[in-house]
Amino acid sequence: MAHQAHAMLYSVDPSPSPLTGAVAALLMTSGLAISMHFHTTTLMSLGLVLLLLTMYQSSRDIIREGTFQGHHTPPVQKGLRYGMILFITSEVFFFLGFFSAFYHSSLAPTPELGGCSPPTGITTLNPFEVPLLNTAVLLASGVTVTSAHHSIMEGQRKQAIQSLTLTILLGFYFTALQAMEYYEAPFTIADGVYGSTFFVATGFHGLHVIIGSTFFAICLLRQAQYHFTSDHHFGFEAAASYSHSCLMSYDSSFTSLFTDEAS
Amino acid sequence: MAETMDEKIKNYRTAPFDARFPNTNQTRNCFQNYLDFHRCNKALSTKGQDVSPCQWYQRVYKSLCPMGWVAKWDDQIENGSFPGKI
Repeated sequence: MAHQAHAMLYSVDPSPSPLTGAVAALLMTSGLAISMHFHTTTLMSLGLVLLLLTMYQSSRDIIREGTFQGHHTPPVQKGLRYGMILFITSEVFFFLGFFSAFYHSSLAPTPELGGCSPPTGITTLNPFEVPLLNTAVLLASGVTVTSAHHSIMEGQRKQAIQSLTLTILLGFYFTALQAMEYYEAPFTIADGVYGSTFFVATGFHGLHVIIGSTFFAICLLRQAQYHFTSDHHFGFEAAASYSHSCLMSYDSSFTSLFTDEAS
Repeated sequence: MAETMDEKIKNYRTAPFDARFPNTNQTRNCFQNYLDFHRCNKALSTKGQDVSPCQWYQRVYKSLCPMGWVAKWDDQIENGSFPGKI
């Protein structure tokens, strides 16, 4: 019985992706530091190219192993699910750090800020304007992605493609709106601890939305090429879980960062 | 000379315990009294009343606050960049 269970698992072939990914991370981080001191983005750009190559190759390899070679048996899928859950949990804690930074500074504001929160001189954004629209856009994308999921499970190919496309478009709409907000905001990242916590938290969130949109775009290409079956579409489920957690993070930001009377 | 010194020492007083600020970090105590002094001055002088009740706050903040902070805040008030609400 144990031997049978073991036969349903598989060992991946050696891959350069862990090394290239790690080197890309090194080049991007050190490149970022270099760009701030010597005003040259070469190292960082090199890291970014290497990152994109790693992302492309490693996901292509996983798709080959799973979809074309049939290695993603139920126990393997289970392992992939655990992996995704653990990763998303780590992302949640990543965001919790930025929330705690915001609350640390806003719940007991120092005299330098005027002893009040939001600090003196900061004109906050009205949460019921673009931020509320952005919340609605992300919530709508949650609806469309659920619809896409059900379409995939029901074997409705055309509807799945439509819902998935709509999900991606909503993601782009969010990104465009947020970019406009950034451009129009009356304060910058340099404006004290308020500016810092605001833009770092919303900035990382925006980056995660872009990652989610990209993940869904890959899923759309795969759905169009008949990779997903009604029972087996883990890549799509992983993308959906990731984006849902992103949405939750925005909802929490909305209630804490954007309100005028921030605690 | 010694008697007057002893008498002086017996009569020394300092800022009393303020239950609003029970912990070791007394920054807020200093800042609050600084604000309250200026708010008291502003409120009483707009009504045309005598501002001597405000002296209490001044004595408290002068006892508690580092001189550098008071100097910095006074400069900020002078050039209009003091962040506190007065």
